[in-house]
Amino acid sequence: MSDQDKDPVVHSSLSKALVIWSAVLALSMVWGLYDEVYGIRPWKGYQAKFEKLYHHYLSNARLSEADREKQIKAQPEYKMLDRDTLAAEKAATPEASAIDAELNGSLVPKILALNDPFQEVRSHIGALTYQIEVSKSESTKDSLRKQIVELKAEAHKVSLPGEAEKRSMTFPDMEKQLAEWKARKALKLQQRVDVMKHATELRAQRDKYLSDRISDASLDTLSSVENSLAKFDIRIRQIHIKDVDLVDRCESCHMGIREPVRLTAASMGGEAVFTSHPDKELLKIHDPEKFGCTPCHGGNGAALSSVEKAHGYNKYWLWPMHHKENIEAGCQQCHVKELVTEQADTLNTGREIFRRRGCIGCHRYEGFDREGDEIASVNQQIHQDEQQKAEWTREAGFAEQAANNPKTTNAEAQKLYAHANDLKVRSSGIDAQIEQLDMRSESLVREVKKVGPSLKEVRMKLRKEWIPVWLEDPHVWREGTKMPSFRLDKDERQAIAAFIWQSGVPGDLPSQKSGDPEKGKEAFETRGCMACHSMGEGGQKQGGTFAANLSREGEKATYDYLVRWVHNPRQRTAPYCPFEKKDLTAADYQKRGLPFVFDLAHDKCPNDGHELQVQQMTPMPNLRLTEDEARDIASYLMTRKHSNATYAEASFMDDPALKNKGLAAIRNYGCAGCHEIAGLEDEQRIGTELTKEGSKPIERLDFALLGHKAEEEGWMTHKGFFEHKLADPAVYDQGKEKAKQDKLKMPNFNFSKPEIDAVTTFLEGSVDASVPPRYFYAPSDQRQDVIEGWWLVRKYNCMGCHKVHVGQTTVLDDMARYQDPDWRDQKPPTLIGEGARVNPEWLMRFLNNPSLSETDTNRDGVRQYLKARMPTFSFSDGEVRKIVRFFEALSSQAQPFIPDKLEPLTDQERTMARQLFTSEGAPCLKCHMTGDPAHDARATAPNFTVAKDRLKPGWTKRWILAPAMMSPGTAMPSNLFVKPGDHWVFSGPLPASFNGYTKDQADLLVRYMFQFTPEELSRLRSSVGSGK
Amino acid sequence: MKKIWIAVGVVSALALAGCGGGEKTQTKQAETAAPAGGAATPDLANGATVTGKVVFEGTKPVMKTLDMSAVPTCMNAHKDAPQKSQEVIVNDNGTLKNAFVWVKAGLPDTTVWQVPATPVALDQNGCMYNPHVIGVMVGQNIDIKNSDPTNHNIHPMPTVNQEWNESQPPGTPDKMQSFPRQEVPVAVKCNIHNWMRAYIGVVGNPFFAVTGDDGTFSLKGLPPGNYTIQVWHEKYGTQEQQITVGAKDSKTLDFTVKG
Repeated sequence: MSDQDKDPVVHSSLSKALVIWSAVLALSMVWGLYDEVYGIRPWKGYQAKFEKLYHHYLSNARLSEADREKQIKAQPEYKMLDRDTLAAEKAATPEASAIDAELNGSLVPKILALNDPFQEVRSHIGALTYQIEVSKSESTKDSLRKQIVELKAEAHKVSLPGEAEKRSMTFPDMEKQLAEWKARKALKLQQRVDVMKHATELRAQRDKYLSDRISDASLDTLSSVENSLAKFDIRIRQIHIKDVDLVDRCESCHMGIREPVRLTAASMGGEAVFTSHPDKELLKIHDPEKFGCTPCHGGNGAALSSVEKAHGYNKYWLWPMHHKENIEAGCQQCHVKELVTEQADTLNTGREIFRRRGCIGCHRYEGFDREGDEIASVNQQIHQDEQQKAEWTREAGFAEQAANNPKTTNAEAQKLYAHANDLKVRSSGIDAQIEQLDMRSESLVREVKKVGPSLKEVRMKLRKEWIPVWLEDPHVWREGTKMPSFRLDKDERQAIAAFIWQSGVPGDLPSQKSGDPEKGKEAFETRGCMACHSMGEGGQKQGGTFAANLSREGEKATYDYLVRWVHNPRQRTAPYCPFEKKDLTAADYQKRGLPFVFDLAHDKCPNDGHELQVQQMTPMPNLRLTEDEARDIASYLMTRKHSNATYAEASFMDDPALKNKGLAAIRNYGCAGCHEIAGLEDEQRIGTELTKEGSKPIERLDFALLGHKAEEEGWMTHKGFFEHKLADPAVYDQGKEKAKQDKLKMPNFNFSKPEIDAVTTFLEGSVDASVPPRYFYAPSDQRQDVIEGWWLVRKYNCMGCHKVHVGQTTVLDDMARYQDPDWRDQKPPTLIGEGARVNPEWLMRFLNNPSLSETDTNRDGVRQYLKARMPTFSFSDGEVRKIVRFFEALSSQAQPFIPDKLEPLTDQERTMARQLFTSEGAPCLKCHMTGDPAHDARATAPNFTVAKDRLKPGWTKRWILAPAMMSPGTAMPSNLFVKPGDHWVFSGPLPASFNGYTKDQADLLVRYMFQFTPEELSRLRSSVGSGK
Repeated sequence: MKKIWIAVGVVSALALAGCGGGEKTQTKQAETAAPAGGAATPDLANGATVTGKVVFEGTKPVMKTLDMSAVPTCMNAHKDAPQKSQEVIVNDNGTLKNAFVWVKAGLPDTTVWQVPATPVALDQNGCMYNPHVIGVMVGQNIDIKNSDPTNHNIHPMPTVNQEWNESQPPGTPDKMQSFPRQEVPVAVKCNIHNWMRAYIGVVGNPFFAVTGDDGTFSLKGLPPGNYTIQVWHEKYGTQEQQITVGAKDSKTLDFTVKG
């Protein structure tokens, strides 16, 4: 081979490589440019698209809007208003023009012309006055004063419009003239307003007619939006909040979020990205300029390079955007103290499940263990107060000692005595505080409830053989029950059953005669039991989910216990002393020579005086039924059973050898978190605290062997962890080799998908929020009372019977029985606006004793005609206060309540009002109770003769004028009064005594009701008679 | 900004020449249904007629006497013959009165039916509603009259429409009311005289009838088609039957209600 052959220049060409590389170079340049312009800036594409679609939408909207406006303007009413407006304007024009001519032609130019010379002299005088003030020599001052006098007397030539000759005017002349003209100008302007008044009013009416009928953006809004769209430019839109250093660029793509017109995906060519925020109200409260986007929604607000990154759905972003089904997780982080957050239904459901289904039994969550936390803090406060008091007493003693010392001067001694006295007074203040805290502490013992029933009384309450069957799987025995299914093997079940049975307190219950199940069924269905309990299985189920389904009650309960329970569910068979940690017996009382009586009035331990737990720790209230009625209901419940159910003999439950094994299992599974169990009253929660679970580092969530799978399937997130755990609490045991006691203990609640979403939402929002304190919702005003109140409204299930907020339905609303026109009037009253309706003092009395009677408790104090009865909840004083304040706050009522002073009623007015109330033409007494049993037998509305104590006058008037405004669908008819002039008058025939009465007749009735006396009551009753 | 776009344009022209067309952006336009034409009325000449009766089978229930003793005015209105409940009225020919028959399904959704201008009367007389059952079209006025010397309140309790409750004192003008949505039935009650009950069938088409003293009904002018006819009774609930009719057909459709 020659050298030439070896020379690559000679025999091989580089052109191929060059072509390839130059192509690569060109392509990379193209790619680089593409990436620069579009690839890493996808938002630009979005913006261009938004502009186009929005433009399209607006032009369409304008067309239909213009159409609609044309239609409305063609309405005879509008045309009339328009005609009247124009006519009035025309009529007023000559006078208005004359005024304008005088104003603009003469007055204003004159004022302007005179103002200049006047101001010139005035400023000169001002300057001289200043010199007087700063000058030190009296002689200079005098000469300056003289100058001012001269200046004021000096005449000035002033040329005024409309006057040929210049006027000669001194400063006071000018001042006087100006004031005169200005006054005239003001007068003329007012005259002009008066002249145009009618036309202006008509114009406002006409414009209102139009705006009342166009719900969407009007043409004006559309035009302004179009104008701003004309100036549209493609740029990053960002919200920068300095104090948090938050940068949210979400609106660079989501451009429609804050647009004044409501954009939907459909109106924007199917592009969901351009829709407006679904809740403008919410945005108003949480102004994005102050809150940004990501603090609520999650995601990476600064990222713009891809949808995944911006939404935070990449591995390394800690706060991924909340998914749609969990979107309210964002509320929880700042609304941590609430159980009910307005407009956050999913989150509220999640919190409620957490509370009601007993998650709280095992998992601590700050703020949820309300009574327990408060007991701790009250006790700590008492301790601190006592210490403080001791310290002050000591210090006061020293001060007195020092003062008593003869060497101390009188002045010094007095100071010391005063100091000692101050300390004593402050100590007595502490006494008052301690007294309050003690009362609170007693209250709290009453307030603590358990999620599940007490297991202390199982020996009296339950059929023994039922217990192991129930433990096997509560959800099989009773679908949807609160009690979750534990993964217990047979040994564990037997041991637990044995422990529960053997640890039950002994006792004998009085034997009850049997009742009438038919009557019991009717009572059960109508008294209000079903606002909490359900009956029937599968599709037949009716009633509430707050408490147990009782379709198989007859299989598990003993009759005698059930009677006692229905009659008074709070009645215990033995009081528990938390100090001695034991259930007291008759012997404990006997020792002290006391009868074995314990109730809310006898709640001190005979041994040591400590507060006893004298009530069952159940929220179930007392319906104040007669014993007969309790027997009827219990008899009915005993008939509720599956006829073919069999229960295996369970003598093992008496085997003492099983007891210890059972105790270990019960401790292991944390049964005492939800149940009262003898000997386990002070057990700690067994689960992990969940207050900040949503921000726990992901690597600390134990996905166990499912880590890889989770990563592959994209659920290696908090949301994924929670959802899988909630759907199958044993899921992270999959494939693990574990001893029984090491396995995951969380039981299965059989949550539905929406329930899982709700709890996930709650947990996802349970974070150590990285937002500054101002983001947190911590109102100091009445809204705080609302937050507090909700906990009680939920705790006692008030919403099973009552509407508490707008848009809510009650359990009874959905029941078949209450669809019937007659039964609809049997629903308990709505409580929307209750704070504005009732006197808080009265409400307090009513909540404590809804019968409003010490002797006749077998009734409802207000609505005796209702079958459903407001029960006695044995609220503590603290709870009553909170509930009353809740309703007062919801209605923005001032506290404390001071009733209105009403104009006194004359004798004649009293007679007139009575005549109207009792007249045939007025329907009042056809429905309203008067307290007369013969009359009330037919009544269907509350007793108005006690309105004085119960209601607020302002509300009463609003109610009789327009009841449907407050309670749509109420039995109280509207249109009872009409307002032909300035006053309301009764719309029906009036008694003759009303002839010539010119005052407001609605007011008259209100004044009558609120100045009602016992004498008037008897006069009223005698004029009604009982048959009318 | 413009410069970048020019650069992109130039580069893409150079590099992508021959690589096919640029992307197309398609904007979907919201489709709007064409508005319906004028309102239709039953075609009595060419339409079909469905007639029939509602037969009662079983023992005729005994209706209780209404207790009006609380209101003497009402008592007096019936002093000769105490008023019985109108819950079930079986005619002498064994048919059921006050059954509401209507075309529940089968009419084209797009047809807009003419609402009759004449209102349907509902009188409060002797503390009873007369008639006990009426039918109206959606949007048709009901002329509510108080012929009694006592105060009544009219309280319809719909579940689909909005509920209202208004006082009508004696001697006040009639009330004209209508319901904007189809609902069979709407129960009406007077809270002051709680035995008073009426039922209103509110239908979106003009094909409905209330059986009278002979227990028959007739639906005239039905366009050819396949229909679900429903009969509703306050005590016995609902029943449905299918029927197919052609133009000018005359068909019979009887219902049997078991007591």
